[in-house]
Amino acid sequence: MLEENGIPTVVVSTARDISAQVKAPRTVFVNHPMGNTFGRAFDHERQRTILADALRALETVREGGALIDLPYEWEREFGIFQG
Amino acid sequence: MEAIRYVERLNSHYRSQGFQPYQWTINHDAPLTPLSRPLNQCRIAMLTSGGVSRCDAQPFNPQARNDLRLDVFESEALPGCLVINDDYYDHRDADRDINCIFPVERLRELSAQGVIGSISPHHYSGFMGRIYTRSTVVNEAAPALARRLQEDRVDAAALVPA
Repeated sequence: MLEENGIPTVVVSTARDISAQVKAPRTVFVNHPMGNTFGRAFDHERQRTILADALRALETVREGGALIDLPYEWEREFGIFQG
Repeated sequence: MEAIRYVERLNSHYRSQGFQPYQWTINHDAPLTPLSRPLNQCRIAMLTSGGVSRCDAQPFNPQARNDLRLDVFESEALPGCLVINDDYYDHRDADRDINCIFPVERLRELSAQGVIGSISPHHYSGFMGRIYTRSTVVNEAAPALARRLQEDRVDAAALVPA
């Protein structure tokens, strides 16, 4: 909605299937648990790298609806948060 | 590992609770506004929907429905004292380091490195409360945020759902 109002946006998502349905103008997907989009607490390097990748998508994406898979892995299997 | 299938899981949860099926937003195309200048000259704002508020403000209500509250933070004062109230995700890491979901300090570093041009004077937290009124978001809340971003001469925004 911001895009129609002239503001370029990038969404940083941990829910690939939901983002694929919503089709925001630009989305980067990080296969991390929700709540750790940018990584672990105090992992500055991972946090900064993911943020920089997301921001670069602002420049590189040429067509609306792009969903870019970032290459970072979480260190172990994780599931949906159960509360 | 394979990406979690949230859609399937939520659909079956709704079914098992006897709720009406969740009305997913499904779009087949998307608009695109190109950057008006190179990234390294852009002023960037961030928005989190993770229930983040200042310690001295009223906390977000995790049980709220259609809560279109939008908090405005002075970006220079961040992170300061922030608190997360949301029961949809595990925020134990983010409670200790807000940059896990709202990387305001990392953005500052990217600005210092010249990856971006500058930082918006304001960042935002909102749209967290289980919003089922899509038209209000489209017609009111999003345009209001867009106007704020334009007032701050923001060139682009990073949106982080949680």
